Amino acid sequence: MKLFEFKKKYHELFVVEKRPEDKEKPRDVKKAFNDFWNGKPHEERRLGDLYVGDTGLYKHREWRGFMDTMYYFNMVWLYNYAHMVTDIVKYGDGPQSLVDFAKGVWRYRWMGQTYLSVMHWFDRGMEGMRGEALRASAWHYRGMVSETIRQFQRMFIADKKLHGGKENKYWKQHIAHNETVGGSFFYPFRQDLIDVPLEMITYFVSVHVNNHTVLKYIDAAQSIGLPSDPCPMCQAEYGLFVEDDYPDYAPTMITSNEACDGSVATSVLQDWFLNRPLYALPQPMRYDDPLVQKHAQKEIEGCWKFIEEQYGVKFDWDTYVKYAESFNKLTEFEWEKWDVAANTENYPINGVAQALYRIYYSQAGDRPIWHECDEHVRKIMNKTVKKNIITFPKTRHRAIAWSCAPLYYSNWCTWAYNCWGINCVINMDSLMFDQYLRTDTYEHALEDLNWMNEKAPMRAMAVGGHEHILSLFDYMERFNCDMVIMYDQLQCKGMQGIHGVFEDEFRKRDIHAIWVPHALPDKRTVSRKEIRKIISDYMTTVMHEEPLDPTLVEFDDDNSW
Amino acid sequence: MKSIGKFIFKLMKIGAVIYGILFAVFYFDLDGKFLYYIWEPMMVKHYDNMKRPDNTGMPYGLKDKVAPAEYTEIL
Repeated sequence: MKLFEFKKKYHELFVVEKRPEDKEKPRDVKKAFNDFWNGKPHEERRLGDLYVGDTGLYKHREWRGFMDTMYYFNMVWLYNYAHMVTDIVKYGDGPQSLVDFAKGVWRYRWMGQTYLSVMHWFDRGMEGMRGEALRASAWHYRGMVSETIRQFQRMFIADKKLHGGKENKYWKQHIAHNETVGGSFFYPFRQDLIDVPLEMITYFVSVHVNNHTVLKYIDAAQSIGLPSDPCPMCQAEYGLFVEDDYPDYAPTMITSNEACDGSVATSVLQDWFLNRPLYALPQPMRYDDPLVQKHAQKEIEGCWKFIEEQYGVKFDWDTYVKYAESFNKLTEFEWEKWDVAANTENYPINGVAQALYRIYYSQAGDRPIWHECDEHVRKIMNKTVKKNIITFPKTRHRAIAWSCAPLYYSNWCTWAYNCWGINCVINMDSLMFDQYLRTDTYEHALEDLNWMNEKAPMRAMAVGGHEHILSLFDYMERFNCDMVIMYDQLQCKGMQGIHGVFEDEFRKRDIHAIWVPHALPDKRTVSRKEIRKIISDYMTTVMHEEPLDPTLVEFDDDNSW
Repeated sequence: MKSIGKFIFKLMKIGAVIYGILFAVFYFDLDGKFLYYIWEPMMVKHYDNMKRPDNTGMPYGLKDKVAPAEYTEIL
């Protein structure tokens, strides 16, 4: 490389250009020290100048002030890198886990291409965050990373593909299930068996961390002639099988029809590809019809019977009670959080951390890491409430996000706050699974578990009947929101069908609503840049507002993770 | 006693240098740049060149009937 090219590359990767007007300003030592210690005021940050071209990388990571930068370096970056190593050992089979992990990285695209870049997932979600908001949101991410490692390490130690095609003792202990089958179903068997969702890590979380990987699976599904217009989530899930990139870690499979007929197709294709005992556990579409409750409960009991017969284990009531009661503690804390989010300005969790953490833990079911992270967050939230710390001081609008979010741009709300002061207080995914699990009698337990299943992501408020979908307006009032970010999943036939009803309701109620089109995991249909443009256009033309950080209004991140 | 003190001081110096290097990696996003420009293209090439079985070759009727009727029996 010639010296000129080297200088150019160095400039491109590391040098943040000063604006001409800044170059001419006299040096103000006092302000420079203040910026070093406290960080620049929101309006002077110019976060968009830190990006390297369209990669989403940083010329340098943001200086947040001394204390927050040190916190982010020590307690987020270093802490998480170190704990990733300990988690890999803890959740696997001792030191052998490191070998299994290396084999998994080498074997699976969704692993080796995706998860090593996880700290950039933190960066994108935590951009611009300060103080308690930074700390509490980062704890949520830590919980998700730990559970992700648990899931892929459990897969790897049992995976036939990584162990010469042999069925080891771990393989025989695992239950594989769709990511939309809740972990709570398996509580009665957790002393004997290990439940691991098949697509949570291989598909869902991977898109949030690095959205490049999933495109391969969507294309693989279409390459064998499967249609391109169903939900791309379903396409990616069966694309994993077409591409032979699914880990073979369990003797059985439990599938679901959630969210829609696209998921039914996934189950059918998985049944074909897996060629092993499979139990389909459906959720009724019009789920709150009293006539379907007994039927749906019977389906759950059928699932339990299937597990007992396939694994030779017994339903254990005490184990169910132990895990259900433990999970109820997570639910109770979630309600506390909602209370603070709805009624104060002290809620310390940003929109993306709230959404992803809630959907992740309620879907995966009770695990010790959720309790550990909740304790950290509880301390932070108690402090913000007691001391009345305004956690998002630049809030101009309190927004509720409704319908299914773009997985490749779940951190849009971090951008929206930094650029426009739109604080996404709550979202639809967080409000699902809102069900306490009674443990006084078997009948009550089954009834509540069934209700919880019926309030699963997308079933309740996306394709579960218009009365649930329109509960948006009730939640909007309860969370004191003045704006709706309305996700428009272009390939969700259910939500597309009700688009006009929402348009009418927004007009009738005189609500500021911004439609955000997207194709769930596939960034090629509507890019992140287009999403930002839609929001920015609304903020300038309808709201007549000026951006808080003008460098974030327009930038290119098409090739970023 | 003096040599123990020297040893501890040396350890602290090494620790400080490592800490400084790690901070530089963090601050200049060197981990991200390595993963983006070197690791990911290398791994993509590896995965693209992997030999994979054609799962679509599996006959549709291969699966044994394993689910007894009572699993899905309704009221």
